[in-house]
Amino acid sequence: MISRKIFALFLLLAFGSSAAFAQELPRSSESALNWLQRVADAPRRHNYSGTFVYYADGHIETSRIVHKVDSISERERIEVLDGSPRIVFRNNDEMKCYLTDSKRVYTEKRWFRKFFPDIFPQPFDNVIDENYYVKEDRLERVSDHQCQVLSLTPRDSLRHGHQFWVDIETGLLLKAAVVNGSEIIEQFAFAQLEIDGEIHPDSLKPNQSMAQEEWKVTDLITSFLKAGELKWQITNLPAGFKKLVEMKRNLAEKPTLVDHIALSDGLATVSVFIEPITQDAPASLPGFFTIRGAINIYVRILGDYKITTVGEVPLETIKLIGDSVIKKD
Amino acid sequence: MKSKISALMDGELDQQDASNIIEAVRKDDDLQGEWETYHLIGDTLRQSSKLAMNISSGVSQKLKAEPTVLSPNISNLEKKLKRKVYAFSVAASVIAMVSAWLVMQNLHEPQQIIMAEQPNHNLTIAPIPVSSPPAIHSYPHPPIEINDYLFVHREFSPGVTMRGQVTNVNSITEYHERYGR
Repeated sequence: MISRKIFALFLLLAFGSSAAFAQELPRSSESALNWLQRVADAPRRHNYSGTFVYYADGHIETSRIVHKVDSISERERIEVLDGSPRIVFRNNDEMKCYLTDSKRVYTEKRWFRKFFPDIFPQPFDNVIDENYYVKEDRLERVSDHQCQVLSLTPRDSLRHGHQFWVDIETGLLLKAAVVNGSEIIEQFAFAQLEIDGEIHPDSLKPNQSMAQEEWKVTDLITSFLKAGELKWQITNLPAGFKKLVEMKRNLAEKPTLVDHIALSDGLATVSVFIEPITQDAPASLPGFFTIRGAINIYVRILGDYKITTVGEVPLETIKLIGDSVIKKD
Repeated sequence: MKSKISALMDGELDQQDASNIIEAVRKDDDLQGEWETYHLIGDTLRQSSKLAMNISSGVSQKLKAEPTVLSPNISNLEKKLKRKVYAFSVAASVIAMVSAWLVMQNLHEPQQIIMAEQPNHNLTIAPIPVSSPPAIHSYPHPPIEINDYLFVHREFSPGVTMRGQVTNVNSITEYHERYGR
């Protein structure tokens, strides 16, 4: 089609930078995808403890992690060491998050939160190849471990790129970066790490002084719904995104339940929250927000409801997903 | 005053000065106009992705509406010529749409679209509905519930950002200052 060629030329001239995504990337090799499978499996196979840093926008946050796995359970403690203290204890799907400054505890019985270095939605799905071109890159040393570097190039402009540094021996993810072209948006990296060392059970429980204090407990109850039970529908999702789960949530200090739809492209996740506008929860103005790192937020009003879309994807994608929510008749 | 607004955009003011200027801009329509003009200039120079996003849906609608495939009986040569004419006219309308978006994004004057569509007489199609971009507001703080949403969202997500860490929320304009290259 001649007209299409002229179009392409015109667009290239007008918006040269956006044409970079037009090039066709090959399928990812099997061995590259196998590396990702190893990364997804490693936290179910290895104990580890160490310190990792989160870096974004010139800001560094350090956390300590202890992770123990055996045939029946997986337990974890993550303590954020900078700023106001936060300690998360996880026992399989159950989690408790202690905010020691405000003496609050948040509990959740069906917890899927994915912490570094356990970042893939479970079960791992090779469908990731449809959205990212996974390639084995160089070898590099991280935290005294020899690592295979993997680069994940997005196949379109709807998502960010990623780089993973994977321990060759165990498959554990030791460093991860979210990138936009050559720019690093955020990264996690172990500064110190011991794999398969002895882990004392006490290190996975609140200590004596924490147990004695009074805590205000908030239960983030979740009720999972079958597809189509919510009165909302998501139509025309951007390419590669699929619905993970629909649920109703009891958010902290909210009188009504909030509808929550979670979506994923195999790596990046997006949440859509829908709540009625009431006198207690007046409508906030629609708009976009960005937060340190890769997260973007889009607030939109639809009739008497407010739709908030949150995710680690570019602003354009957040807007497309937020705008794709419609009310069922 | 203009130079101060420009300095504010470039992040060169200290906190006290910045709050004074923001307050002044909020109260004065003329200054708001200046503010918007500066951003229009900035977005245009950067070929902001905001513009790229909006044009793509417009272009795909134009492509859908393009009538060339509907004339099976004319000769190849004629067809070619015809296509070219259509292509150029569509390209022209794309330019028109770009300018329409530029104006719209910053001045919120939807009537500009209709004017921009008029040069498009070669194509006998209905005017394309172009939804207004959402109004952009710059909050001093994000809506309070965003903290809760982030907390809940992160359970499905890579990363460790948790409640309490949301300290640096920007308006969309600042977002493009930082990332919109």
